[in-house]
Amino acid sequence: MIEAQNLTRQYGSFTAVSGVSFAVPEGEIVGILGPNGAGKTTTIRMITGFLPPTSGRVTLGGKDLFGDSVAIRREIGYLPENVALYPEMRVEEYLGYRGRLEGMERATLRRRLDEVVERCLLGDVRRQIIGTLSKGYRQRVGLAAAILHDPKVLVLDEPTVGLDPKQIVAIRELIRELGRKHTLLLSTHILPEVELLCQRVLIIDRGRIVAEGSPEALRERWQGRVTLTVETAAPQPGAEGELSLVPGVEAVATEGEGGTRFRLECQQGSDPRAAIFRLAVEKGWTLVELAAARASLEEVFVRLTTRDADEASEEAA
Amino acid sequence: MRGGLAVFARELRAYFYAPLAYVLLTFFLLVQGYYFSLIVAYLADPRYPAGKPLELFFGQTIFTWLVLIFTGTFLTMRLISEELRQGTIETLMTAPVSETAVVLGKYFAALAFYLFLWAPTLVYVAIIRAHTPVDWGPIGSAYVGIVGIGALFLAVGTFASATSKNQIVAAMLTFFCLLVLFSIGLMESLVNGETAKKIFGYLNLWQHMDDFSKGIVDTRRLAYYASVAGLFLFLTTRALEAKKWR
Repeated sequence: MIEAQNLTRQYGSFTAVSGVSFAVPEGEIVGILGPNGAGKTTTIRMITGFLPPTSGRVTLGGKDLFGDSVAIRREIGYLPENVALYPEMRVEEYLGYRGRLEGMERATLRRRLDEVVERCLLGDVRRQIIGTLSKGYRQRVGLAAAILHDPKVLVLDEPTVGLDPKQIVAIRELIRELGRKHTLLLSTHILPEVELLCQRVLIIDRGRIVAEGSPEALRERWQGRVTLTVETAAPQPGAEGELSLVPGVEAVATEGEGGTRFRLECQQGSDPRAAIFRLAVEKGWTLVELAAARASLEEVFVRLTTRDADEASEEAA
Repeated sequence: MRGGLAVFARELRAYFYAPLAYVLLTFFLLVQGYYFSLIVAYLADPRYPAGKPLELFFGQTIFTWLVLIFTGTFLTMRLISEELRQGTIETLMTAPVSETAVVLGKYFAALAFYLFLWAPTLVYVAIIRAHTPVDWGPIGSAYVGIVGIGALFLAVGTFASATSKNQIVAAMLTFFCLLVLFSIGLMESLVNGETAKKIFGYLNLWQHMDDFSKGIVDTRRLAYYASVAGLFLFLTTRALEAKKWR
């Protein structure tokens, strides 16, 4: 649906985004993940047509975004990062204004306005002045305005930033629901959000895409070793040596003082839990815990986005 | 077109939502009323012709210019700079409306408010009319001048407002430009050459307003306002587009 080809954006001599290419297929929720200042907002602004790329192209349904800009903008619903609204207007009035900007028919607008107010749970603030609303409500007003004209593509820049936990849950729920009908591009620096919502993730760092794929695939691919935790009921002398002989186990470390808890680093792709269980039966150990820890996307993210810094410091040393 | 109308309507309402509008309306009426009463008191003598107070109200004094320059500055300073400051420009520019529609929508909202500001001065006409017969021609042409020069000044202000996200900077830029625009014509009396005198004479806004207040309408002057206003509005759209590239 949206395709970014080789997007590059420079601000003076500073390159904010460099050679970013990706595609958002119709009906998918794609997340752009990256630390602050990685180039997420710049990328999003180029996708929505607010910022022309220094080089590269954005196409939407095959049409060039900057060629037929005004017509194409109708296909996109956009919630900018800072959710700028006019503080002096009432919620209803603002939504009406946005609808008219989108060129909506009066009757359609009235119907859709009721729909989005209900959908974004704005019923009780409908007549309220935007300037008096809490951040959470304002975020929802922004979201309501973005989906008002029923765009094919929704672009949300950090939709849950600055919200309290309850509001975050509500907004995520809404986003997930919207994802069923719309093609959605979402930027965030919050990992669980991506794992929760997105079918595909782009990890951006320093203006480049450093990884791309489904959250599972990313986790899979970038997962270091699977880590197993083994605990026995009583201390077992020599267990450390025995465990290290199990195929697939690379290293064993005793955890804590009791000598009952072990941490096993396993080879990539191997899961020796069954072998460990048999070993325990054979040796007569009573296992009280046998757990595999999967590398979280968080670990992947931290590794990917700090790698360059590490390499740089290694080079320097 | 529809998008431009939406911008116009929002902008016009925004004037009435902000305290600035009421402060401006109040001061405008106070100051205009004061000038008018001064003029009337001064001319309250059978020796002067009956229509004279209105003539002086619209032209031939510095009062008109103070009012025109200040309203031109205050009415436009937040027009675009506020959108830049708040960041609402982002949703505006990603909506399916062209820069031209946005600029025109905002400009005409300012112009509409400007007309609203001037509307109560019709009362002065009515007051004079109640005491003595008035000549409607010069009054009509005076309003043509007020609208024409206002349209020019507001276009300059609209442009200045697109150059900064700071209203004060926009206001200062507008004020400076309007002073230049106003005083350039006064050079007429300072230069010597025949051609130079002629050129500055064409641009002499003071002279223009004088003539308008006396009932002289020169369409070349209206063409001058329209084309300079058009130029500034065009520059405004370019300034908005240029914002993207920085």
